[in-house]
Amino acid sequence: MAAKNHAQWLSEPKLKANEWVDSRIYSDPQIYEEEIEKIFSKTWIPVCHESELPKAYDFRTMSIAREPVIVCRGPDNEVRAFLNVCPHRGMIIERRPAGSFLEGQPSGNPKRMTCMFHAWQYDMRGNCVYISREKEGFQDRLCKEDVGLRRLRCEVKFGGFVWVNLDDNPKVSLEDWAAPAFGCLRKTLDAEPLEVFHYHKAIVNANYKLWHDTNCEFYHDFMHYHNRVTGFNDAYFARKNESFEHGHIVVGTFEVNYEKYEGFDSRAALSFPHLPPNQWYMIDMFPGMNFNLRGSALRCDIVTPLGPDKVMIEFRGLGLKRDTSEERQTRINHHNSIWGPFGRNLHEDLIGVQGQGTTMQTGSEPRRILHGRHENQTIHDENGMRHYYEEWGRWMNRMPNHPEQPYAEAVSVAAE
Amino acid sequence: MDVYALVRDAVYRSSLLLDRQDWDGWLSLCDEKFQYAIRAWSPEINKDLTYLAHDLKGLASMIKLLPKHNTDHSPLTRHTSLYTVDVDEAAQSAKAISSVVVFQNLLDGINSHIDAGESRLFLVGKYIDTLKVDGGKASFLSREVRIENRRLDKGSHWPI
Repeated sequence: MAAKNHAQWLSEPKLKANEWVDSRIYSDPQIYEEEIEKIFSKTWIPVCHESELPKAYDFRTMSIAREPVIVCRGPDNEVRAFLNVCPHRGMIIERRPAGSFLEGQPSGNPKRMTCMFHAWQYDMRGNCVYISREKEGFQDRLCKEDVGLRRLRCEVKFGGFVWVNLDDNPKVSLEDWAAPAFGCLRKTLDAEPLEVFHYHKAIVNANYKLWHDTNCEFYHDFMHYHNRVTGFNDAYFARKNESFEHGHIVVGTFEVNYEKYEGFDSRAALSFPHLPPNQWYMIDMFPGMNFNLRGSALRCDIVTPLGPDKVMIEFRGLGLKRDTSEERQTRINHHNSIWGPFGRNLHEDLIGVQGQGTTMQTGSEPRRILHGRHENQTIHDENGMRHYYEEWGRWMNRMPNHPEQPYAEAVSVAAE
Repeated sequence: MDVYALVRDAVYRSSLLLDRQDWDGWLSLCDEKFQYAIRAWSPEINKDLTYLAHDLKGLASMIKLLPKHNTDHSPLTRHTSLYTVDVDEAAQSAKAISSVVVFQNLLDGINSHIDAGESRLFLVGKYIDTLKVDGGKASFLSREVRIENRRLDKGSHWPI
């Protein structure tokens, strides 16, 4: 049948229930609020890399589920996370994206986090160590011991990424949450220290899951001329799309022929420990984080949802800390020629997801988004997305294809 | 024409050619040893970033393949102001620093019905150019586009 009338257009596809989703999960404000509360406030989020705070008293700031967060390295070399909120009057304590507390600030002293508003000060463990005119104002009714910062669960793991969980009692440990999915790369990422060499961010008008979908499915390689010419061969089409507990997926490796793209050379001379040259692994972590090791560079995407149809994506590139300056520049060029803001592929990916966001604005007519490709769980199979939305349904207690209905396990996915 | 005028003419002519997407015309202003880079300082990771780097041959290859890539076709318009020209007469070269602001004139990047025709600020930065001045001609030896932005949204396939 050719073009559809309205009723036909709105009719359900002839696919199984888990092979399509309702676009309201990408646009509904209530669903978005529930996601912030039920998912982002309760899962492990990789907020930065430890190389971004290499020395004692270094810090980075970010936010999770609307909560400002600060990560700092103490004099004992431990990385800790706190809400970046002063318990006095709710002022954000540190306003810079990164820096060092070894420098004093106009309102405070070195080696302390200082709220500029009223000069309350905190040490690197989150203890309040100074309240201006404490006795005069509070007498003995409130003291420093009563007003420490809100500490957050924080671990440095899986290649030195800093993971934070707003939930004091997470459903699973970070190890149980992520280790199976990182299995394919753990030896590589933990062999020696890594270092961030690239950072930029994008804010696009699309739901965060649409970005994650793009990272989870390789069928869109038809959009990327670069990937078609460097990748489409028997080994590419045999790449496995493997599902892991907690909604994570991993796309297995193959050898990329970079030299088939005019102007590019083989990247065989530079790789990562324990990894043959020109390999390409992809780890997609629920609810929207991506680790993508391609040849000589590791890319990490961290999503921060800003609304039902708005997301910030932070892009990082990493190499080995011990890189020579020449090796580092090679990794940077390799990373950014494809994934940089002026690279060949990332621009196309962002146009794609922005185009989806355009048709799925809040209030737009609900439509069916198909995730029904089956290709023996290889590269263009959409089993990864189906697996993701099973997990999403469990966390949200909503059916992805009928979000007004409570979640019910899909037998077919469990069997995949 | 004096050296300052040759440099000024090359910088402004390059902006017009880039605005017109006359890539070959732009490259014809460049020396065969030309080096191009887009860079930014990131206070987030405390590092200098190189977002794109190519020599003349690499740029020519990239430009040749542009029609094979999907892209946002919203034209970019530069507003360039030449700030300083420092001439090294002995080396027959000059260093020019220009302020550059790039606007994106929306066409098909989002929803053309609503957005097409609107101009948005895309980039703020500087051109840091070195030019060879020889035989009454100034040609680019290098261009560093040093931008202030780390938020680049959809980015671009095009040289800035």
